[in-house]
This record gives sequence, C-alpha cells and structure tokens, in this order.
Amino acid sequence: MMDIRFAIPADYDSLVNLEKEIFGDQAWSASAMVADLEALHTQYLVAFNGSELVGYAGLSSPAGSFQADINTIAVSEPHRGSGLGSEFMNRLIELATRGGAEEMFLDVRADNLGAIGLYKKYGFEHIDTRKGYYQPEGVDAWVMRKTIDQPLVLGIETSCDETGVGIVKGNRLLSNALNSSMEIHARYGGVVPEVAARAHLEALQPTIDTALNEAGIQLQEIDAIAVTNGPGLAGALMVGIGAAKGLSAAIGKPLYAVNHLVGHVGADILERGSLQTPSIALLVSGGHTSLLLVNDLLDDVELLGETIDDAAGEAFDKVARILGLPYPGGPEIDKAALGGNPEAIRFPRGLSLPKDMAEHKYDFSFSGLKTAVARYVEKAEDSGEQINTSDVAASFREAVVDVLVTKALKACEEYGVPRLILGGGVTANARLRELATQKCSQAGIELRIPRFSLCTDNGAMIASLGAQLVMAGREPSGNGFGAESTMEVSKVQSL
Amino acid sequence: MILAIDTTSGSSAAVVNRGEVLGFSGFDDPFGHAENIGQAIESAMSEAKVAGKEIEAVAISRGPASYTGLRVGMAAGLAFATARKIPLLGVVSLDAVASIHGAGMDNKTWLVTSDAKRGEQFVGVYSGLDGNGLAERQEQLQVMKPEDLEKNYGSFPRISELCDAKVVGIYAEKADAAGVKLDDLSALYLRSPDVTPSSQKRVSG
Repeated sequence: MMDIRFAIPADYDSLVNLEKEIFGDQAWSASAMVADLEALHTQYLVAFNGSELVGYAGLSSPAGSFQADINTIAVSEPHRGSGLGSEFMNRLIELATRGGAEEMFLDVRADNLGAIGLYKKYGFEHIDTRKGYYQPEGVDAWVMRKTIDQPLVLGIETSCDETGVGIVKGNRLLSNALNSSMEIHARYGGVVPEVAARAHLEALQPTIDTALNEAGIQLQEIDAIAVTNGPGLAGALMVGIGAAKGLSAAIGKPLYAVNHLVGHVGADILERGSLQTPSIALLVSGGHTSLLLVNDLLDDVELLGETIDDAAGEAFDKVARILGLPYPGGPEIDKAALGGNPEAIRFPRGLSLPKDMAEHKYDFSFSGLKTAVARYVEKAEDSGEQINTSDVAASFREAVVDVLVTKALKACEEYGVPRLILGGGVTANARLRELATQKCSQAGIELRIPRFSLCTDNGAMIASLGAQLVMAGREPSGNGFGAESTMEVSKVQSL
Repeated sequence: MILAIDTTSGSSAAVVNRGEVLGFSGFDDPFGHAENIGQAIESAMSEAKVAGKEIEAVAISRGPASYTGLRVGMAAGLAFATARKIPLLGVVSLDAVASIHGAGMDNKTWLVTSDAKRGEQFVGVYSGLDGNGLAERQEQLQVMKPEDLEKNYGSFPRISELCDAKVVGIYAEKADAAGVKLDDLSALYLRSPDVTPSSQKRVSG
C-alpha cells in the first residue's frame, strides 16, 4: 500500500535523488528543487512504498492568481503503471480546487501520447504548443488546460445588527450587500436584540436583491447557501436561518450552517485569493474580542482567549457616552483623540499583570477600564475641573489598543506564527491599525487587514466559508440546525 | 398552487390548491421554529409531490404572534418567494382562523384570541362571514389583559383555535380570489420593542 502525504524537509534528499534517477541530464539541480519545495506558492506530495520514495508531484498556485500549474508528476521506473500517476493527478486536482484555482495548466512532451491520453481523461485540453521546447531532441511541448468550475455560494449573515448577503464563486468575491440597523440602535446607546431582529426581517429581501444584482446572477444559478448560525443574538440569527432554509427549499440547493467568527477569518480569502496558515486572528467588534490560532480554517481553529466582560467595541461605545459623544463610539473616540496625548492618563490595561498570566494570558477585560474612565471624569466634574476630552479619549484608546496588539503579538511569538489577521468592526480604528502595523513590522510579522467592508459583519465572509466547505467536499448541514448563540469557535460548521 | 407557512405557535407548512390541502407538515415545538421550518416546508412539498418551481405563490402568517418564532416563518416564506420570483401573500393569522373556524357564527359578533405572552391575549373582533366565506373584522387587532377582555367582550363567543399553515393557505387562496389585498408583508408585533433609552449612571459614590 502506497503512502501519499505532503513533502517534509526530511524527504528533500530522497526527492533530489529520485529526480536525478528519473530525469538524468534534464533533472533540476538540488538547490532549484529545494527552493521550489520550500516556496510559499507550491505544494509537493510524496509517495512512499515502505521507507522508499517512489514518486512525487508538485503543484504551483500563487495566492490570488486563481490558477494552478502542475510542476511535475514523477514516478520511479518500477512503479509506473501502478496507478500512482492517476492517484497523484486526483490529489493535485483536489488541491487546486480547494485552493481556489479556476484553471489548471501543465506542459507535456508532444510525443508522450500515454501521458496526453491520461490528461485528456482528466479534462485537460491542448491550448498551445511550445515549438522545440524539450532540448536537445527538439521535441515540442503541449500546454494543456483544465477549467475548474468553482461553486457559486450565497451567504447570509444576521448575527447582530447588520443584515448581510454576499455571493462568492470559489475564492472570488462577486458581491457583498449590507443593510445596517445601527442608526436605530444609536438612540439606545447599543444594539437592542429585538430591534435588530425586526430590522433584519425588513432588510432581508432588498439585501438579497442587491447582492444578486451586483453579482449579475439569478438565484437559480447558486450551488449552495451558507448562513451564520452562531455565535450571535438568537432572535437575529433565526431570521437568517429562516431565510436560508426558505431559499434552500425553493431552489433545491444544499445548506451550510457556519460559524460567524471563523467567517471573519475566511474573509481574508476574498482579499488575497487564499488563506495562509497557520495564522493568529484577532477579531474585535462590538460583540466579540477573540484571539484565535488558525492552523486550518475548516479543521483546526483554536480559541486562545476572549473578553471576559465587555467587547472592545462595546467599551468604545460606553466611554463615548461617558464623554458625551454619540453612538457608535469607535469613530467618535478616534475623532476626539486627534491631537490628544495618549500618555496623559495611565488607564489600566486589563488582564495584563503577571498574576493574570496563568489563567488569562490571552483573555481581555475592558469593563474595569471603562469604570476607570468614568471615575476620572466624575472626579473632575465633582471638583469642578474641566477635563481634556482629547487626552481622555486618546489615553483610553491607547489602553484598549495596547492590550489588543500586545496580546496578539505575544500569541504570534509563543506559537511561532509569522502572520496576524485582523477582523471585526474595530479594525476601522485608526490607532489599532497604526500600532498593529508598527509592532508587526518590528517583529517581522505579516499583518493582514481585509478591506473594511469585509472586516465588519458581512454576508460575503459567510459565503466564503461556505464555499471552502463545498470545495473541500464537506457534507451540507441538512436542514435541522438551529441558532447557537454561544457557539464555540472550534465548531466551524453545524451538521 | 400556494405554499403556506405559519410559525405563530408551532412551525408548519402546507401546499394548497383550490381549497385542497395537497401536503402538510407541522411541528408543535413552540421553541423549535428555526430548527423545524426547513423540514416542514420540504415535507409538505414532498407529500404534495411538487417541486419549488411548481409553486405559484407563497402565503405567510404575519401574526400577531410571539415575535421570534413568527419571524422565522416569515423570513422563510419571503426568501422562498424571492428565489422563485412569485407573489407573496401576507395573512393576518387571526383573520384566517376567524374565516376558517368561524363557520356557524353567522351574524353574531365573535372573538378570535391567541396567546400574546406576559399574561395577555391578542384579540380580533369579527362579525359574520361574507359571501366568500371571509370573516369581517370590526376593529383593529388588540393586545388585551384578561380583565379588560372580560370587561369589554365577556359576553361574546370566543374562538381560540391555533393557526396553522393549512388555515393560512386555504384562507389566502380564498381572500386572494375575492380581491382582498394581501400585500402588507410586515410582521404584526402589536407592541413596541421593550426598550427605553437608559440614562447615564454614576460609577463613583
């Protein structure tokens, strides 16, 4: 029985040797081979018969290119005709599909009729000829292409106060329609669940229509429907779930019930064409403050920590109120903080003391900070002093952002992860972006911040996560799922 | 052929054609709307042996009813009709119950009530069925405390049958045929959201 897996550095020597054995003078040099194996945009599979390497196959697919090239499929002489070549082909097509490729390319010697026959069987067509490509014999190369029809997925998001409907095709964003009830919540100083749920029902149809129009498609063309079923406000989630089930019944297409927070991570796929893993994700909004370790978007998302009281966005709203600023607080605090001194007042950094590290290393707390700001303001009022709103806003904002960025970078360091993805509405905060950019650059960490419409709650990120499940061949969720307000982040899909 | 959806108490769906119920599926669970609505629709359609594209209109219950559940059915119906680009008919559930279960009331005045939670009742007051078999509502729908209900309407006969998708579908077909406008698609909550802007409280004593 052949054992096929991804290549690891321990395989490199055997790989280089097998390359020489099979291709002789035409073989790649050891250094070129290792460079290709280690490149970010390649994936190599190796086949072992016991401890003996008997074949390998490489796929090259730069992020965002929507194309995949088969670099090589090599099988040692004694194992040809064993079906290993076909098995590699199946796996490469699967990898290319999962990676979001819409087209696959390969080169083949024009005189290798056996191989050409195999590729045709897999749907590759001859699209071009490179004259005399293989030297010294001067044999032509055929360029062959296979198109991959990536799934068209509509996503519905209603977990809080944004009604979002987005449409993606594989890793490509087609539309992202949004209706927000934020203005209605403004007078209450925060999101009121019943108000949000009522607004979702009213916004549903226009949002679906906008998403379809923007994408230029008909609902009947959709291959699958994805919907957020948690975490979030139960009554609000249920509106989206009802709609998703109605759509699914009407067009007879499968349903995928997905996790809102994992959706935020999946948003970056629409930005760069693929998700690099492992990645640390910091999700900060009015409802969430979560730090995740994402080893695999569909199979391995771990919650490192989250807020134990208020979400960061909620803290911005509450402090804005204390300072007499309107809702939502984030942009108002940002404005007020302009020209303020972030070091004027040393507000507390929640859960950052050595004693907190044992239990709450990656957790957050903003309720004490809010109270500290309120006390500061009340004390000034009681003694008839005028506060410097800019200084208070800047110092408060610094305290929030400092804790967020410090903990996120600590996680990157501890888990040896060289990249950080930000998501959630608080990513609009100017100081958060600035400090994260500065600290990540110092630490040599790649910082990913999707465009704002993909950072706030939106339907496209839910469609994207749904598409990933379809592309990976996962079973749909059926139609018996309900809303799960407190869904764990480790549960990517409800079945 | 109409697909009717009701989530005013349990969750149910029915396929109705010319007064005949071709398929019906209902779940009594008063909290399982989100879980059950998809199964209800699919079972009703499969019992009626129809595909989505054969449905010509969707009728939804607008309540009055418990909000969270009501919205699930309305959202499902709205999405179904949007997907198929077919008309959506909004049905007042008490009107449907009054018309379907009101036969024999003749010219009397009678009430249809349903549980409004918080110890109150949703109330519709009806007088007779018209020539099309549709109950005529006399007053605006109300939310009433039991003592007020007793004081104002204590002497009237009362129907408190639960609504379901069969009732909604049969009523919608009749009402639509009789030219009754069913184009109001808003949910009937009859109460404002339970929230008031809060005032700022001091944190220090």
